Amino acid sequence: MSGLDHVDNYPEIPVSLAPTSTVLKTGAWRSVRPVLKTRTAPCNAYCPAGISIPEYFDFLTQDRLEDAHSVFMERNPFPRITGRVCPRFCEHGCNLAVATDEEPLSIRSIERWLGDHTAEVPHPNPAEETGKQVAVVGAGPAGMAAAYYLRRSGHKVTVFDRRELAGGILRYGIPEYRLPTEIVDNEVRKLENMGVEFRTRLALGADLKLEDLEAAYAAVFVATGATGQRSTGIAGESLLEPGLAFLEAANRNQVSLPGERCAVIGGGNTAMDVARMLQRMGAKVTVLYRRTLTEMPAIDEEYERAVEDGVEFHWLTLPRRVTKLGAKLLVTVEQMRLGTPDESGRRRPESTGIMREMRFDGVFSATGEKADTTPFPDRLRDAQGWLDLDVDGATKDPLVYAGGDLATGPATVIEAIVAGRNAARAIDAELGFSDRWPAVSPIDTVSPAEVNVTYVPHHDRADDPPAVTADPFAEETTTLTAADVLEEIDRCLSCGYCNSCGTCFVFCPDGAILWNNGPRIDHEFCKGCGICVAECPGHVMVLVNEREVSHA
Amino acid sequence: MPERLLLTGNHAAAYGAMLARSEVISAYPITPQTMIVELLSELTASGRLDAKFITVESEHSAMAACVGASAAGARAYTATSGQGLALMHEMLHWAVGARLPIVLTNVSRAMAPGWSIWSDQSDILSQRDVGWMMLFAESVQEAQDFIIWMYRVAEQVFLPGMVGMDAFILSHTAEPLIVHDQEAVDEYLPPFEPLYDLDPAQPRAYGGLVNRDHYFELRYKIYENMERAGQLLIDAGEEFGDVLGHKYTPLEGFMLDDAEYVLVSAGAMTSNVRQAVRDLREKGIKAGLLRVIAFRPFPVKQIRRILGGRKKVAVLDRNMSAGHSGIFAEEVRSALHGQSDAPPIYGYVVGIGGRDVRVETAHEVMDDLLERDEPEMALFVGVKGLPIGPLRADYEIRPLEPLEVVR
Repeated sequence: MSGLDHVDNYPEIPVSLAPTSTVLKTGAWRSVRPVLKTRTAPCNAYCPAGISIPEYFDFLTQDRLEDAHSVFMERNPFPRITGRVCPRFCEHGCNLAVATDEEPLSIRSIERWLGDHTAEVPHPNPAEETGKQVAVVGAGPAGMAAAYYLRRSGHKVTVFDRRELAGGILRYGIPEYRLPTEIVDNEVRKLENMGVEFRTRLALGADLKLEDLEAAYAAVFVATGATGQRSTGIAGESLLEPGLAFLEAANRNQVSLPGERCAVIGGGNTAMDVARMLQRMGAKVTVLYRRTLTEMPAIDEEYERAVEDGVEFHWLTLPRRVTKLGAKLLVTVEQMRLGTPDESGRRRPESTGIMREMRFDGVFSATGEKADTTPFPDRLRDAQGWLDLDVDGATKDPLVYAGGDLATGPATVIEAIVAGRNAARAIDAELGFSDRWPAVSPIDTVSPAEVNVTYVPHHDRADDPPAVTADPFAEETTTLTAADVLEEIDRCLSCGYCNSCGTCFVFCPDGAILWNNGPRIDHEFCKGCGICVAECPGHVMVLVNEREVSHA
Repeated sequence: MPERLLLTGNHAAAYGAMLARSEVISAYPITPQTMIVELLSELTASGRLDAKFITVESEHSAMAACVGASAAGARAYTATSGQGLALMHEMLHWAVGARLPIVLTNVSRAMAPGWSIWSDQSDILSQRDVGWMMLFAESVQEAQDFIIWMYRVAEQVFLPGMVGMDAFILSHTAEPLIVHDQEAVDEYLPPFEPLYDLDPAQPRAYGGLVNRDHYFELRYKIYENMERAGQLLIDAGEEFGDVLGHKYTPLEGFMLDDAEYVLVSAGAMTSNVRQAVRDLREKGIKAGLLRVIAFRPFPVKQIRRILGGRKKVAVLDRNMSAGHSGIFAEEVRSALHGQSDAPPIYGYVVGIGGRDVRVETAHEVMDDLLERDEPEMALFVGVKGLPIGPLRADYEIRPLEPLEVVR
């Protein structure tokens, strides 16, 4: 402090060249300290695949498309597909929607954009060849996902399928207007390009024997889906068209309308697809469902689109008998009422005895599909005929796995993909490569009460825009623009994942947050006031007791 | 039985509030007052003090809570310091206008910026004109006792009062303290009887709109009561001696009888000034000390009597009113105005921002006083690079630029 020995050398006001905190090491005052802690975003927790959504969003905002893509591909190799057909489990957990009255982030639309903009990015080169050969039976979403992860791990993979082309439900079940075949073709081609071999027109049971595959391959993953028609219990069942078979024929352009007035029995996603496909072919479609909208298992989006297409719904309507009446079909339906909840928690339909008759040109059944487990020996099945599997899909036979709809009954594409990945990881580990799969970190979900919605922009959610087309079978929606995607990501709180938004840096009253591409807490000066923790939009910081960290 | 403890000024203040049986305490912690609040919250939480402790987010709210409590008939206490007292300012007026005998301890601290926690009486003296009684404590004992003495007077005139004590020199210094017997304090200080009872069954607005035809009278009564408090302080100080063993007075003299040169001081630095006076007497200089204890009401008549006829008077101020002088000097000068035997008053500004006022400092002042012929409004003691003296006459901080006239 030379010079300050005479009043003449003093400035008018106390000014220092550094904040006083650099002199006073105020960190010593602290009893709690903020710690950056990556936690689980609810979208991530709700996603069956556990995709690190805020992380790939962060890469997208940094214009790092390939990094975003590779984060995504760790969990799901088909963003173009699930970006179109996933029921958006993730969005149901969105903290923004819970903490405000706003719509959740449009996560699936962003995923679709990611998929479309990486469609031509080739899959990574496989790891060093292991010399092991793995058979995958069934080229649907579960089989294709398993093939991707197994091949990526360096195994030779052969995918067998009973049909002439790979894709399974993606190609033959989901209508073109929801998922264009071109996208499925591209995914199959990309798998082929990484070395996956597809062998088609070979059905398990008829052309292939499980025991032969077990003998010839190091491991087998079976994912043949659930395409068998469940009995409806309706008298005159033979007069009904099976819904899934109709969808397959429609996707092959091998079907014509039975007449103008059609009925679809059932309330699941297959029923919605059948009804909408018929409506688009020119029919007037009525869905007959024995419970009400509240109990209906179809996802909301598909129901809403069916209504938009003009499909009519008759609730509490249970067909009892179908008879021929000239060229028409006479359907006798019973009026139902809701009773007590069943084991699924949905209220059970009960008889009223009140009957009425309806006339249609064609009646389609979509009351559920069942898996065909007959190619499996009894030792691999339980008393109910279901496959006896562990969480990864392992059967009682070593290195024989099963998954997807075959194991679960009709479910979603993403759940099939997860089953394929889980089986691939388990097989890879069994083959001696357990160390290359990252440990699964425990779920520690950020709750809506923890986030701070003050600083995210509040604007309407960006959904896939409707396509402008006269063709009823062309894809009905389009993909967001890049600008829309970035604007939508702006709404993301980035729960549990630091996206370097800088809020903590701005609000720290002590300048105790240093910035170098992201925050670093300067513990020499942090007093532990907790303002950064309170202000962090995604609650990526937590306060921990100082005693636990400094005296540990 | 009274207890004899070794306590700091802050803890003594908390004991004072407890012995006075304060019923509502609302305070916001601030260095150097924090220990008062901490001890009171402990005493309240432990049940040793039967009071309601209201935590608040600011000193403004602390005083507002005291105002409410006092209006409801509770004996209310708070403590603050420096910036906290400044933030309280609006509510200090309210306590006066509402005639609420709240007692406050202010641990005097220099005002920011530059930030300082050290001793300086500018904070409390900035509240000179709000209408609170003010006492300046010198010792740990007084930090405790003045609270009790102040309540005794405040509840008779229905005016609030503050007890000033100096940061660290008193607040954080431990001295022996006699903690009085509670029964004796109860005998000295009867329960508070408010002017008005708040009765929810008969709602009224207190402190509402008053027009030009009444306000003046209400203020006049405040002035009258403040005047009356002067004598009451003397009486209650006597009673304190009778009941609790030590007599207090608004002014205190030391070696004044034949003193030709009187040093005037207030607060904790007085102890060092007193020692200097002793030293000066040994050297044969007829020095004396006058300590100002009561600043509001200011003991004008006594000061005129005591200081009349002295050769020179030096007033030591640990504060300054820029544009005038040290505030005690200003007050003493004004008290003596027009008196035929009034001595010349030399104002000395010392110890600003907690700079030490040592025994030696008092000696330097006395040396200067003896040499200096003409009194000065403010003589600055210890500014770096400058001798004791008035402001430099030739010094311009920034010369005025000639105006450029735009046509």
